[in-house]
Amino acid sequence: MSGVTEGAIFTDRPRTGADKRAGLLSRMWKQRADYLYVLPALIVMMVVIAYPIYYTIDLSLFRTPASLQLRDKIFIGLDNYTTILSSASFWKVTWQTLIWTFFSTLFAFLLGLGAALALHREFVGRGLLRALLLIPWVVSAVAASYVWKWLYHSDFGAIGAMMVQLGLADQPINFVDNINTALPSLIVVNIWKEFSFAMIMLMAGLQTVPEQLLRAAKVDGANAWQRFWHVTFPHLAGVSTVTILLLMVANFNSFIIPWIMTGGGPAGSTDIWITQIYQLAFGRQRWGVAAAYSVLLFLIMMTLGYFYVRALTQGDKERAGA
Amino acid sequence: MAEIVLQHVMKNYGSLYAVNDVSLTVNDGEFVALVGPSGCGKTTTLNLIAGLLPMSGGDIVIGDRLVNDLDPKDRDIAMVFQNYALYPNKSVYKNLAFPLQMRKLPAEQIDRKVKEAARLLDITHLLERKPRELSGGQQQRVALGRALVRDPAVFLMDEPLSNLDAKLRVQMRSEIKRFHHNLNATIVYVTHDQLEAVTMADKMAVMNGGLLLQYDTPANVFANPVNTFVASFVGSPAMSLIPLDAVTHGTEASLRSPEGWDLPLSPLNARKIASSSTSKIILGARHSTLKLHKSEVPGSVPGKVYTVEPTGDITFAQIFINGAVVNISVEPSVLLTPDEQVFIEFDQDRMHLFDAETTMALQAA
Repeated sequence: MSGVTEGAIFTDRPRTGADKRAGLLSRMWKQRADYLYVLPALIVMMVVIAYPIYYTIDLSLFRTPASLQLRDKIFIGLDNYTTILSSASFWKVTWQTLIWTFFSTLFAFLLGLGAALALHREFVGRGLLRALLLIPWVVSAVAASYVWKWLYHSDFGAIGAMMVQLGLADQPINFVDNINTALPSLIVVNIWKEFSFAMIMLMAGLQTVPEQLLRAAKVDGANAWQRFWHVTFPHLAGVSTVTILLLMVANFNSFIIPWIMTGGGPAGSTDIWITQIYQLAFGRQRWGVAAAYSVLLFLIMMTLGYFYVRALTQGDKERAGA
Repeated sequence: MAEIVLQHVMKNYGSLYAVNDVSLTVNDGEFVALVGPSGCGKTTTLNLIAGLLPMSGGDIVIGDRLVNDLDPKDRDIAMVFQNYALYPNKSVYKNLAFPLQMRKLPAEQIDRKVKEAARLLDITHLLERKPRELSGGQQQRVALGRALVRDPAVFLMDEPLSNLDAKLRVQMRSEIKRFHHNLNATIVYVTHDQLEAVTMADKMAVMNGGLLLQYDTPANVFANPVNTFVASFVGSPAMSLIPLDAVTHGTEASLRSPEGWDLPLSPLNARKIASSSTSKIILGARHSTLKLHKSEVPGSVPGKVYTVEPTGDITFAQIFINGAVVNISVEPSVLLTPDEQVFIEFDQDRMHLFDAETTMALQAA
């Protein structure tokens, strides 16, 4: 028993010559108790994460005609990938996905930063305002999508009616039924839904800005804007990177708002990768192509994930070095 | 450089007075330490001088300007903070240049001043580094540099040494003293460490509970503490305080212990007793003024050894006298054992008598 716990706790203990010569397998055998402890978690991860990934990759190499059962799929190598990359709709959807992700992330972050800064100072009703601004983040995305759908409605929508009454438009605008305004309208909803998240993250970040640094800057003659630019903002760099990456991942992957509000329409003008994949798979039963699409999305997500983890651990290193 | 005048300065949060009617003058070129325990109002006072907190009342004059309503940047002050408060994302050079950039000085003038300050503080080789790559002492020197580079009228220092380890603290103490000497700077220095105040400052202001208790040279504060708080706060080990009853017969007076002994007082001390309105007296004595005897001598009082702490060239002992712990220092050759009966002789010229009710020092009428 003592050998087991030693292995578990003192893995960095100085190794003897015999240890070094021993192969990987014998080292694993020596630490078999450790492996045993993590085995249940490993099995669960295998079943719910690794296997679906493997199955998707596998499926992406097959053609799955709707007339055949799934087990009769036909191996076609990388043909699905060529089909996707050479289709005109792929590039259109990709462009829309990039616009969707870029503008949603940018404005959700800026709005969140503004809200966090506004809420950081003491004023009457701060708690109430903070709670109100959190509402978009806590309401169900499905419910919010339906509410916004009605707000945007060309006949009964409150926004259109208000614009007419204010004299900004002669008649209610067709926000989501027009291929030119549908995507921007959805981005507005997405920003509204997400900015509270950025706000919370940045509010937490703001609380870690050392008061003495701000005082030092005040004595050094910095005005409010200079204090923000030279002290607060650099201090928020780490949390900002993490927030932006998380927002990008969420936006690249977002499904509920576009799917419920427009279903990718009109005329595919709000189609992004996820809605496209969903339609290919569950609308048109083109499992193979949908799987290939998913693999591409997976690669992009993994790249973002890499930067996310790096941003997180870099913060650790800096703190450890300080 | 300039003088600082505080007149009836107040700072209260509701009914809590953080700084209560503090008036003092820091002369041009003087090094003044604000000293006291945590929460005594010393840092608040410093922040009021800096303009980082609004005053509740009173006036502050720096140089010949009333600065009550001026922003910190317009008060011509520089500040050094406890945790250095260097800008972590800027190099040492940019940290030093920052206050000058904020004042929109021309680039070549900034460069000249930064290099001059760096040379003065011997940090030229660190200019390109980031603060986190520096040791505590180096960071503190950069913080001093950032204060110095602007050539301010007044330096305000908020416990600048308390984040350093003991050895470095002693070293930086002399560096700051040298800094003061070389620049002939007006410095207000906050510390909770009375030793720093005593060793560095021209004058020390002892505060407690928001009140300024005593403002004088360290030697005077040490020799003539105004009350029991100052007496026990300044000096290490602390001054021993023994509560006793005063007994007078005519012009003579003595202090009586319930333990059954009498300590006759000198004529001067007897006059102090005569001027007091109470017979409850606290006798104060510093360790170095006490003499220890193994057998009774005239004018000595009995006590019992509690602990013995040899430090090498001097041995400190704690003696129980009339229920109070009394610090005393003896030659290392004197061997003492706990619970041993000893006799302590007081120096009548260097003993302190306090009114037990008001805690104030008694004065001869």
